Amino acid sequence: MPSLDIAAESRIEAAPMKKTSLLHRGSLALTALLLALAGIPFFYLFQRASGASGSEISALLFREKTLSIFFNTFSLIFLVSLGAVLIGAGFATLLYAVKITRSALFLLLATLPLAIPSYVFTYSWIAIFPWFRGIWAAALVLTFSTMPYIFLATYAALRRVDLVQIEVARSLGFNRLEVFTKIVLPQIRGAIGASLLLVILYVLSDFGAVSLLGVDTFTRTIQNLYKASFDRQSAAILGLILMFIAATIILIEERVHKKNIASNSSVRVQSSASLITKPMAKLASLSLIVIYSFLALALPAYVLTTRMIANFQEIDYPALASATFNTLLVSTFGAIIAIAFALPLSWTIIATRSRFALFTEKVVLITHALPGVVLGLSLVAFGSKISWLYQSVGLLSFAYALLFLAKAVGNTRASMEKIPPILKEVSLTLGVSPLSTFRKITLPLAAPGIWVGFLLVLLTAMKELPATLMLRPTGFETLAVEIWSASTLSQFNQAAPYAFTLIALAAIPTFILSRPDRIQQESNHVEKERWRE
Amino acid sequence: MTSLEVTDLSVTIGSTPILKNLSITLGAGSFTAILGPSGCGKTTLLRTIAGLIPPSAGTIRFGKQLVSVSSLVLPPHKRKIGYVPQEGGLFPHLSVGENIGFALNKSDLTKDQRRIIVAEMLELIGLTKFIDRSPHELSGGQQTRVALARALAIEPKIVLLDEPFSALDAQLRNELREEVSLLLKRRATTAIMVTHDREEALVSADIVALMRDGEIVQYGSPAEVYLQPLTAEVAISTGDALLLPATRGKNGILHPLHAQYSKTRSSQEKSEQGSIVIRPEEIKISMKKESSAIASLITRLDYYGHDAMVELNLEKSDFLGAIRVRIPGPVHCSVGDRVFISHVGPIRFFPE
Repeated sequence: MPSLDIAAESRIEAAPMKKTSLLHRGSLALTALLLALAGIPFFYLFQRASGASGSEISALLFREKTLSIFFNTFSLIFLVSLGAVLIGAGFATLLYAVKITRSALFLLLATLPLAIPSYVFTYSWIAIFPWFRGIWAAALVLTFSTMPYIFLATYAALRRVDLVQIEVARSLGFNRLEVFTKIVLPQIRGAIGASLLLVILYVLSDFGAVSLLGVDTFTRTIQNLYKASFDRQSAAILGLILMFIAATIILIEERVHKKNIASNSSVRVQSSASLITKPMAKLASLSLIVIYSFLALALPAYVLTTRMIANFQEIDYPALASATFNTLLVSTFGAIIAIAFALPLSWTIIATRSRFALFTEKVVLITHALPGVVLGLSLVAFGSKISWLYQSVGLLSFAYALLFLAKAVGNTRASMEKIPPILKEVSLTLGVSPLSTFRKITLPLAAPGIWVGFLLVLLTAMKELPATLMLRPTGFETLAVEIWSASTLSQFNQAAPYAFTLIALAAIPTFILSRPDRIQQESNHVEKERWRE
Repeated sequence: MTSLEVTDLSVTIGSTPILKNLSITLGAGSFTAILGPSGCGKTTLLRTIAGLIPPSAGTIRFGKQLVSVSSLVLPPHKRKIGYVPQEGGLFPHLSVGENIGFALNKSDLTKDQRRIIVAEMLELIGLTKFIDRSPHELSGGQQTRVALARALAIEPKIVLLDEPFSALDAQLRNELREEVSLLLKRRATTAIMVTHDREEALVSADIVALMRDGEIVQYGSPAEVYLQPLTAEVAISTGDALLLPATRGKNGILHPLHAQYSKTRSSQEKSEQGSIVIRPEEIKISMKKESSAIASLITRLDYYGHDAMVELNLEKSDFLGAIRVRIPGPVHCSVGDRVFISHVGPIRFFPE
């Protein structure tokens, strides 16, 4: 009877049997650290705001100024959402319906505004039209800045629509318009909704454009309160409100998102048939896109180029070089930190599906919705308690990582989930430890997604303004800061070389991300990736 | 060469029991096929042996080494198991050579030794020229062979094959399974293969274990489980079987193919109801009337080329169901013919 000597044998043969591997414990520890760090802004805001008495809060909330802030913010959200959806979804549909062979160029045209920060847009418009001010101007600029989100998501969703369905509907006697509203639209609604969330969050957190155009929104007011009077308490209360608005919008979107049906077909039939066939209609659709890109892209390009040339003699090359270096330095650090946290978090979510990991992911998502101003504010308070951290490159990079971590997590997690579990299992049974399996199987196979996450964080961090203004070390000038300080003084000539360099740098990752094969690939798991840009 | 001993193994996933007190012992160097319908827990058994699923009770031993007992579970990477999953599970980012050499990097082999092992393995599976190919450039059969080579390269104690041939077309499957069982024999590796294909199990393995609802219902040599099934269910799962109602009494076992069935059935008292199992090839069919043969009518004929499946209705019998008989080719009868059948072979009676 072999079971009699189990106790004796188990000591000899099966002695050090750990339930969890090094990889497991390490990932859990890093996830816990991330949760603690991501909790800082929430903790700070509550702590600050709780210092205020009820009457102070109501005085702040019900003064006329606050009401106009609310009005401005929500009007902007409404106008920009409307504009971005109409233009973004419209262009995507046109480009999809026309189905030209060289769609890559148009894709790039529609995506390129991603590389241009809203304050550079604003700056180039003001440089030509000095009267360009106010809420309508802000709505116009922010529509340009956010349109690519809707465009990319809609275009990806359209490519997932099975053409067989369209052909079947046509054969059942539906005309083109009916096919669109009954077959296509229901399938792209989810993508439009998810990207609309990104647009709204963008508008909520935008600081550069509204400040230059003199529109008092939450972000601008918070920054002014902080900067002018160091009134941290009122700033924290407004920050808290802003956080609540953002969190509410996320929750609403999640509810709506669950109801959307995903496409049921895994096999898409790519037919060459286009929905718009008449040459004139084709031409008209394409010219619409061209006119738009002229307004969105050519105008800033013209301003930047002419101002550059006018100012050519006076470009301060050492300053430009150091700002470029600084920008690359902090945003690269930020992207590295973001990936360093995204990997263990994604791994923990996939491997354990524990509440703890999913909760951390939620916190990361809400942090992503926090305006840079609010995060900046809370990290300033946190940093000022630790002298070596305060106004350091490290803290600024960390702020970027925290702000944009959701982009890294979305991509890393999606690409890790695509790896068949069997590959890891085979590796384990072959005697390769969990940690080596992670290194030799998971990392290389998830590399494309990790790269995309890295590029997205890098791209967004390069353009980030409000947190940079608050957290940068004294005398540490980045491209964004230089553009900002020159344009607030209407020194457009001076800002031009910095803006030019920033756009040139930001265009590189944008270009990589807009490649059609990329979009095609992404569209396969777009559901899980709605936190990507 | 390592034996495998599984004792009272239970696995519960969520709140669903998948394996229930399962015990099985495999001799060193034997090739065992676990045959069962999908959902019977055979893959779970394989994965539990590999250490990928923690059991809730029971022990697993490789030879003398205890690898799993109650809460002490040796993690998969310390078990030295060669796992060949369905469709191979080759690492898509590595070449064929790198796949085979995957687990050799960490061991204390020199670079040359590693290269030699990979070359040997490639030669063994006859894919030497494919060393630098990507897995997606291989056919399904080649992928399976590379997966097997990758498993054998670490000189595993036990090789686990999870439906290795299911993705292949019929002809390739036959060739490859011969090749694989020969290969495993030559290296005298203890191997377990799970499959739902009865032919595959009978042809390639030394031992066939029949699994149903998380339990092993019978195991033995292929001939044993085919010819002496313990239950009617086992009989059906190991091959085509004719299940006929029967009674057992003092006159012996009476069944519809017994000449005296209709006459004496009602007179058989104190009889035990049950059924008998007859293999279709155990029924002889003849155009001429022979003694004890029963006249019947062909109602259907499925022609397969090398043989045919014939459905018959018995004449002058209380039994009204169809009798299915396999007859070897060349086939000379057709639907509507009157033929005579007789049963040649063992009677397997299963009481109700």
